[in-house]
Amino acid sequence: MKKLIACSLLISGAFLASGAGVTIPVETYQLKNGLRVILSPDNAVPVVAVYLIYNVGARSEEKGRTGFAHLFEHMMFEGSANAPKGTHFSAVESNGGTLNGSTHPDFTDFYEVLPSNKLATALWLESDRMRSLSISEENLNNQKEAVKQERRLSFDNQPYQTAIVDVWPTLMFRNWQSSHSLIGSFEDLNSSSVADVAKFFKTYYAPNNAALTIVGDIQAAEAKKLIEAYFGDIPSEAAPKRPDLTEPPGFQAGTKVYKDAMARVPGVVMGYLGPKRRSPDYYALNMIDAILTAGDSARIRLDLVKGKQSVIQYEANLNWPFGSVLDYRDPEPYALFLLYNPNFTAKQIVDQVQEEIARLANEPIDAKDLERVKTQIRANAITGLQGSLSRARQLAQYAITDGDPALINSELDRMLAVTPAQIQAAAKKYLTPDKRAVLEIQPAPSAQPGAPGQKGDR
Amino acid sequence: MLKTSFAIAVSVLGLAAQTPAQTMDRTKPPQTPPIPAYKLPPVFETKLPNGLGVVLVEDARFPLVTARLNVQGGSKFDPKDLPGLAEGVAAVLTEGTKTRTARQISEETDGLGGSLGASAGEDSMTISGGALAENLAKLLGLMADVARNANFPKDEVDLYKQNRIQSLMADRSQPGFLADEKMAEVVYGTSPYAHIAPTPEAVQKLDSKTLAGFRDTYLVPNNGTLILIGKLPARAELLKTIAEQFGSWAQKPLPAPPRMDLPAPKRQIVLVDRPGSVQADIHVGRLAPTALAPEYFPLMVGNVALGGGTNSRMFKNIREKEGFAYDAHSSYDAHREAGDFQAVTQVRNEVIEPAMKAVLAELDGMAGAPMPAAELSNVKNFIAGNFLLGLETQDGLANQLVSMKARGLPNDYLETYTTKVRQVEPNQVQAVAKKYIAPGESAVVVVGDASKIGDALKKLGTVTVTKAQ
Repeated sequence: MKKLIACSLLISGAFLASGAGVTIPVETYQLKNGLRVILSPDNAVPVVAVYLIYNVGARSEEKGRTGFAHLFEHMMFEGSANAPKGTHFSAVESNGGTLNGSTHPDFTDFYEVLPSNKLATALWLESDRMRSLSISEENLNNQKEAVKQERRLSFDNQPYQTAIVDVWPTLMFRNWQSSHSLIGSFEDLNSSSVADVAKFFKTYYAPNNAALTIVGDIQAAEAKKLIEAYFGDIPSEAAPKRPDLTEPPGFQAGTKVYKDAMARVPGVVMGYLGPKRRSPDYYALNMIDAILTAGDSARIRLDLVKGKQSVIQYEANLNWPFGSVLDYRDPEPYALFLLYNPNFTAKQIVDQVQEEIARLANEPIDAKDLERVKTQIRANAITGLQGSLSRARQLAQYAITDGDPALINSELDRMLAVTPAQIQAAAKKYLTPDKRAVLEIQPAPSAQPGAPGQKGDR
Repeated sequence: MLKTSFAIAVSVLGLAAQTPAQTMDRTKPPQTPPIPAYKLPPVFETKLPNGLGVVLVEDARFPLVTARLNVQGGSKFDPKDLPGLAEGVAAVLTEGTKTRTARQISEETDGLGGSLGASAGEDSMTISGGALAENLAKLLGLMADVARNANFPKDEVDLYKQNRIQSLMADRSQPGFLADEKMAEVVYGTSPYAHIAPTPEAVQKLDSKTLAGFRDTYLVPNNGTLILIGKLPARAELLKTIAEQFGSWAQKPLPAPPRMDLPAPKRQIVLVDRPGSVQADIHVGRLAPTALAPEYFPLMVGNVALGGGTNSRMFKNIREKEGFAYDAHSSYDAHREAGDFQAVTQVRNEVIEPAMKAVLAELDGMAGAPMPAAELSNVKNFIAGNFLLGLETQDGLANQLVSMKARGLPNDYLETYTTKVRQVEPNQVQAVAKKYIAPGESAVVVVGDASKIGDALKKLGTVTVTKAQ
């Protein structure tokens, strides 16, 4: 089970990640139609991950079409010329594999993980829908209903989710591209047409707007032949425009209250707009997040959950809630979401967190504490390299966002190079109350759970 | 119409813009080679003189180690009046020892690039740890300290009790939880597998002394196994480190195992009344054999065919064809001393009657005829592929080994797993389906609004109505 080292002989463009103590093989090339390909062989376990990322997400939507990127993602499972509806699920799952697709603010991804003898099956499925998606009124109506049902089940019928997806972005952003709802409104979903779907497909789901990453038990030469055969003759299209995400100046700090009929425990979201991806402050904020919230010795846990017993649960990261530090593309926030003991007020919780941040701004972190947090970051990075799908996600993000998948082998060193002075400076520059948005989510008295008014379960 | 014309437009453009690709028949799924053979990495086993089992698996791909200390001390050992004791012990085990405060434990663990926690299942309790490979010795030190010297400080016990009582309330608001609870009670009768969670009263009674008492009885070396996977030091050096941390842990006589009085399965219909429910949670289930029984592999295959994943009969018929439900699946849980088989779905109140009939028909269908060859082969590929996918990470393999030890399965269980799945014959599946899947002696548990669905259920037989608490 130790083939990684042997494989690295085959590769081009790999760097030794001194921090991780492990080198992931990376081979990158481009087909004539512009499809970027990233291969990373690992023959230890006969499993392969095929991960296709399209460089379009909810922030490319147009006004009146909120939720469209996600609706389109659903259409990708409605069948294509040679793989009718249902084929993706049956072909992958009958072999013990897993598959899914997901829509994010800046990208949409599709993957299959399966026993490695089935590589060609995954390539056949992905290339067929990139080439010949079945776009019909019937499929569209069907998926409008499915997405609406997903909204009811996963957002409207759940505590906190509606506030986070519909309201939170309006507090953090003023540019509509970033502030509108990623799941979308029923009205906008209903008014989407077959022509919209066809246009979106042609504009964004072209090979030159995508990257194909394959990680796991492959032979590179054989994989390349299959990739050329399945994807090589899919036509490229004019390069699509990325949306202008510039935030207008003059951010107003503020607090909004949302009454949530599903919530039983009060919660609060607090966030601050962050710096440019891969700038020194980006790494510093990532370190601040780890000090505050990573692991059992995180300051929020020891001081607030255990010490003051004010916070019950929390989550936070750069690019919360729709992404992570890995797929952060500015502008994105650093945000925290905390559920708290109702004996406290939301304002007290926000003040307590702000005090923790002030401590980071005002005094340099103790060397021993920083060393511990860096060890955690290093261990988490290595742990995240273990599964083939997780490795594929990282390679694809570095390819599509930074143009360099080999960053998988060197980015950790940048993450670990942060100094106490940089932490203080970043906390002072970004994480101050005048740059802060707050969303209080308060339980609203409601009828019984499951009271009439909800639709059925399909 | 649109579909065809659009597809043609794309492929025409393709030919004009690109050099033709090599000829290939895209109309059919590609021919692929058979699923690759895979040999598990070698598993080394030994025992310390005090009886602690040791299992070592070298996996040097990443500089990490994954550790599990598994002891026979799960919820089946909870005293009758203290359901949830094992769970409470696990929850507070890592919150303080004779020489370390909770803060010290969490800071030391994070400093190893690691994690440390404990959990209790039906049969066993597991302390789980991980660390960067260079910190293995320190991780073992921490694990030995919490296993041997946890002192359950009063303030940590109080915080656990407060939070657990809250989360129990949240659990009890979920219809799925209420159904699982009632089904366990019906299937397992007075045996200890009958409870799946504590009561608030039992949580309230917990204190440091009770928790320490359970620890002293069950967390003993001759009652467990230490499993280490990852980039390990040389064998002799590692065994020396293990002996340093666990060698002086004193052996003790183990208490008698709990009584397992399992009731004979019988047809009964129980309705847990949950006023206001717009859905009915349907569970149909009964007692099933352990993983040591010869019927285990045929029943596992039958269970997957019936209700495992999106190619299963229940998913295709109850969800896709009839549109009764979003979720329709079956499960087969084989604990160490007994198991249970269940078919589960949640349907709108209005369709309770046809949905009930459809579920029972699917269960009968498995017993009515042998599985067609193509379906059987797909199910076997599904199980074999799933098993492979689970072995990609150290955690995945660790969990398999823990499950094997917790259930007392033979050491070749993982090595021979796929072969045994492949050997299952259609007539074997039909035979176990007649015995365990066909609903003749199964219990039906439904959680829902009795005023809306009670009459429909009465058509199936006598209904016992209980209140959701």
